[in-house]
Amino acid sequence: MGEEAWQLSNPMLGIGAIVATFILFYVVGYISNRKSSSVTDLYVAGSSIGPLTNGLAMASTYMSLATFLGITALILQLQVPFIMLWIQLILSIPLITIIYGTSLRRMGAFSPTHFIRERYGLSASIIAALFMILVSLMYALGQMIGIALAFETVLGIPYMTGLIVGGLVIVGYVTLGGMAGASNNAAIQMVIIALMFIVPLGAIMKAMGGSGWFFPPLLYSDMVPAMLEAMPNFFDYQFSPKWYVSLIGLTIGSLGLPHLAMRIYTASSLKSARTAMVWFAFIIGLVFSATYAMGFVGVYATETQGVAISAADADKLTLILNLVYNPEWVTALVIAGAISAGLSTLSGNLLAIGALLSQDIVSVLKPDLKVRTRVKLGYAAIFTGGIISILLAINPPAFLVVSILWAFGLAGVTNAPLIIVGVWWKEANKFGAIAASVIGGALYIVVSPFVFPSIVLTGHSVTDGMGLSGAMLAIPVSFILLIVVSYLTNRMPKLSAMLTAKEDHALIERIHGWKDVHPGRYNSTIGAAITVVFFTVIAVWAVMPWNM
Amino acid sequence: MKAYKMEVRFTILLTALFLLAGNVALVFSIFPVQGNLFGFPIMYIVPILSGWFGILFLTIVANKAGNKIDEEIERENGLLTSTSAETETGKQKKSHNKEGA
Repeated sequence: MGEEAWQLSNPMLGIGAIVATFILFYVVGYISNRKSSSVTDLYVAGSSIGPLTNGLAMASTYMSLATFLGITALILQLQVPFIMLWIQLILSIPLITIIYGTSLRRMGAFSPTHFIRERYGLSASIIAALFMILVSLMYALGQMIGIALAFETVLGIPYMTGLIVGGLVIVGYVTLGGMAGASNNAAIQMVIIALMFIVPLGAIMKAMGGSGWFFPPLLYSDMVPAMLEAMPNFFDYQFSPKWYVSLIGLTIGSLGLPHLAMRIYTASSLKSARTAMVWFAFIIGLVFSATYAMGFVGVYATETQGVAISAADADKLTLILNLVYNPEWVTALVIAGAISAGLSTLSGNLLAIGALLSQDIVSVLKPDLKVRTRVKLGYAAIFTGGIISILLAINPPAFLVVSILWAFGLAGVTNAPLIIVGVWWKEANKFGAIAASVIGGALYIVVSPFVFPSIVLTGHSVTDGMGLSGAMLAIPVSFILLIVVSYLTNRMPKLSAMLTAKEDHALIERIHGWKDVHPGRYNSTIGAAITVVFFTVIAVWAVMPWNM
Repeated sequence: MKAYKMEVRFTILLTALFLLAGNVALVFSIFPVQGNLFGFPIMYIVPILSGWFGILFLTIVANKAGNKIDEEIERENGLLTSTSAETETGKQKKSHNKEGA
């Protein structure tokens, strides 16, 4: 089997499946939105979503086109190390829930930026919001590349045409409000994403002769001996422990993603939010395991079955496997599932951009602005964000996952330390927050290969591009700056006079559930010192040679 | 302060356990092991299983512990309210006695 142009021979099948999915989401979104009557309804669904629906919605928000297309491509490229990288991303919602999610829900925050505004003041929140817009744009870029590839495969058109057609259709759809605030929709999407990924994977495994096709996520060990014979180094870890330590930067990054934490605020109670976390872990574990299996099967197909996939087509691996082993109508459904995964994440990203710009920046700077103007501005921001992500995707990075994981790192540097330290340490103040966000964020951008290609930490393109090396340096720097600058400025009378320490302390106690303020709580200098020493060691280690 | 200490310890311990369960590959990169489990190399399947069922188990623990800590904080809040109410009543009684005398 030689290299070929991978596309559906009957584009109508793909178009029909995509249109049907869009109609389903639109109807569910319409019915759900009819019940929304206030701002609280729109953003956090009146805090009334049950644990299973919320768990599914959390998983759907987290799953993106990367699940369908990106992960498998990088498993093809990096093999097992990339699987090991992806595994720890399941920690996002559980860690958000136990570290700060329930506290922010108690506070009644609409978004992490809302908390940063209450905790550190306007300047810090505007800086955080600007970085969050960049995070959302880079996240949206990955989705946009995937959508272009999916449309390319459906219609057999060039990437650029696929990007413009697919991109405009989706941006128009999101801007018109097709997805706003519908957790029910997100839950349905999750079921569709899981079915359209796992069932066709089972069929592919069966066609290849795999005996565990009835439960693809874990039952493919019978294919291991043939894989080892064809590719003896598939299971090798390849990289040093330092590379595996740097993966924790992605975990911290996921704690700073604006659209994820929002799901905890939609829960009907704290108990319900915690139960949703359990459902999330079960569902996301199932789908993640299936993507590892899909990656394994993809490498197996190229190594043992003669399926040739060019480097340019790596992101299409899942679709190609379906085209080779399954009937065309199944591929059409998989494409529709992939687009719906991209759609849910992209709408989350674009809505976050709209909310960040209109609620967290413009409304703060100009509080007297009419509600109607603010809403218009939000729509304009959503549309502009979409167009920018289309323009960025014209000349995309080699793999769509790269920009998504880079966004994780940026969120980990500019947002996560502010929230984590802000919730757990009373001494954290706005000077520390601004220093951490600005200097940490600038450092992360400088050492990424996208701005100054010659200033990188490892020289290993995927490691630098995914932000692993940059995050291993910039996240510790951000934590250190936040703690040290806050500690020092609290002891400078001129600067400390500009702070609202009393209100901040009361806020921290309140969001942890206390009705009084106790000076001994959330005030550990020893804990802060240990954190600084720990992160200093990591930062120094990050700038030492990586030998990759 | 009992509930506060419980909250801090629980958060640090569970965060560490979550990080460990999600990063078994890091442990194996330092201490490699040979052998197979369920037909897969151990260093492949154990991180996957831990990254699914290990995390699932920990979320169940975190769920129960989080709810218990909330109850404990509420209980201490309740004690605080009743103590301040008693103090208030005591003060009122004292001033009443003084007035009476």
